[in-house]
Amino acid sequence: MSRGQPPSGARVSARREPFTIEVAGSSPVTRRQFLGRAAVAGGLVAAPCLVPGSALGRDGAVAPNERIVLGGIGIGGRGSGDLRWMMAEKDVQFVAVCDAKKAQREKVKQIVDERYGNTDCATYRDLREFLATREDIDAVLIATGDRWHALASVMAMRAGKDVYSEKPSCMTIAQGQAVVETANRYRRIYQTGTQRLSEAKFTFANELLRTGKLGEVHTVRAHIAPWDAAEMRHDWLPGEPEPPRDEVDWDQWLGPCPWRPYNAAYVRGGWRGHYDFHTSCIGEWGAHTFAQCHVAIGAAGTSPIAYEYVDNPTGDGMVTRFANGVKMILHRGDQWWHGSCGVRYEGTEGWVAIADGYAKPEVSSPALLDDFERVVREYVDRTGNAQSHVRNLFDCIKSRRPTVANPVVMHRSMTTVHAANICMWLKRDMKYDPVQEEFVDDPEANRLRSRAMRAPWTL
Amino acid sequence: MSESELIAVLESEAGPKEKADACRELAVVGTKEAVPALAALLGDEKLSHMARYGLETIPDPAVDDALRGALGKLEGRPLVGAIASIGVRRDAKAAAPLAKLLRHSDADVAGAAARALGRIATPEAVEAVKEALEKAPEELRPAVADGCLGAAEALLAHDKRPEAAALYQLVSQADLPKHFRVAAAHGALSARQPAANP
Repeated sequence: MSRGQPPSGARVSARREPFTIEVAGSSPVTRRQFLGRAAVAGGLVAAPCLVPGSALGRDGAVAPNERIVLGGIGIGGRGSGDLRWMMAEKDVQFVAVCDAKKAQREKVKQIVDERYGNTDCATYRDLREFLATREDIDAVLIATGDRWHALASVMAMRAGKDVYSEKPSCMTIAQGQAVVETANRYRRIYQTGTQRLSEAKFTFANELLRTGKLGEVHTVRAHIAPWDAAEMRHDWLPGEPEPPRDEVDWDQWLGPCPWRPYNAAYVRGGWRGHYDFHTSCIGEWGAHTFAQCHVAIGAAGTSPIAYEYVDNPTGDGMVTRFANGVKMILHRGDQWWHGSCGVRYEGTEGWVAIADGYAKPEVSSPALLDDFERVVREYVDRTGNAQSHVRNLFDCIKSRRPTVANPVVMHRSMTTVHAANICMWLKRDMKYDPVQEEFVDDPEANRLRSRAMRAPWTL
Repeated sequence: MSESELIAVLESEAGPKEKADACRELAVVGTKEAVPALAALLGDEKLSHMARYGLETIPDPAVDDALRGALGKLEGRPLVGAIASIGVRRDAKAAAPLAKLLRHSDADVAGAAARALGRIATPEAVEAVKEALEKAPEELRPAVADGCLGAAEALLAHDKRPEAAALYQLVSQADLPKHFRVAAAHGALSARQPAANP
């Protein structure tokens, strides 16, 4: 499964253009303008012609032809939070949701319709129908649960959509490779839901490393979830009668995963802890914290080369090592933080720690916090990365620049998750070659880099 | 369990859960010895996927022979799955039978064949997807184009730039949604770049 080098060459970088129609004898008009004029000409709009101010961009509203048209796939609890966050942006219009569960489709429709004061949000059960028929949708929010994130992203990008995929964004190293390959092939903008890469206090911690304020960084620590284990379940819950397909499309809910009898607990969130559906306690928070650590130490495009097995159920205390000499240690408990998704960076001249709930990072010396606002502001000026993960996505959809949590960032940090999991499952130390993307002298581990997908849900 | 014990489960009257679990373990420990028992399940509607789950990662050409040999016997989802696994394994010998499946009446089968040929990307596979793109009905054209783009990337990775450029040209001229033209344009630029220094 060695990968060749991606093709070199200049990026095709162009500002996103609305679909234009050439009208003989006049300047090109946008699709939305054309439809508006046609409606007037066809007498579909009663005189006098009153056009809402929002259509003209008044009072801060963004004109429809400048809005990003958004759809959703598998929006549950976490996804609903993302949805509300996205709909708060003025240049976004959410128009449709696809979900295997009818109750969830209707719940999302209600959220969207209430936001916009209409009943326009469309609902779909069938993912392929949704992607094939909604050519108007520019981008999709994918929040299905680990098992579907990669394949849905690939399918959406093949259909010409940009993607925001919740994390953990892939179940295997091979799935991560497929997301990178597809995004590159179709020049799609993709963001994985590691939103702390767009939060000022985490950004500041990363900037401390980048600017050498901690000296030579030798150790980073990454929080893994304090629930579940690295070893996961292979049992089946007791089989129950499958609901009507329109209520719960069990076949589509399973998607690429091995078939098993239906049980309502799965679709209510009880899929966690099952090998077929979940990336373990390591993936649950490692999807976030490993991405933070990778980016902080300048290793966004690689993964650790060594993983030391620990004889406990969770991976707590596992030491991994990058080729640049930095150790990343996995921690489950609260000894290094007092919040969730913590990271800590240690150098020869100081340390910084940050987790959810902190007003600002904790540091070895108060002087390290000097100029907090200036440092963050300069980061934003230098990179163009807004300190809002969804704003960063939408800016990049318009500019076609890579997002802060782009496919490579996702794939390499998730490779670390998968390698750590494989280390725990096989109960031995591992060595990994991040250039060839394979375990060194370990055929058994290499066979766990991929899993055959269930037809017709294949890559 | 040992490999022979796992094979025995597959050949027994054990239920689907036990057999699925055996397939899962054989994905990690299976050898050529496990291929016949796994291949025998490729046509089983309930276990076809897990049979491939076990087969796909076994590093022995016997797997490719088994998957290729099953193509003429399968239909529906088992056939789509077998084609997908052939694509994952990049079995060059499957180019000819996959080319025939480009004309299958089941769009999922034809689409899977196109993508698998794109991954295989031998000269025979490349010719097959090129020809298919020129003739593909509208509903199949995106999948075939995706196969062409995959093949072009494989050609670029082996520094076969004129062949890749020809594929990108074909995709850019086909009646396809805009993002395919964007993909082809980017690929064509890459194909025109000089090869990187070793």
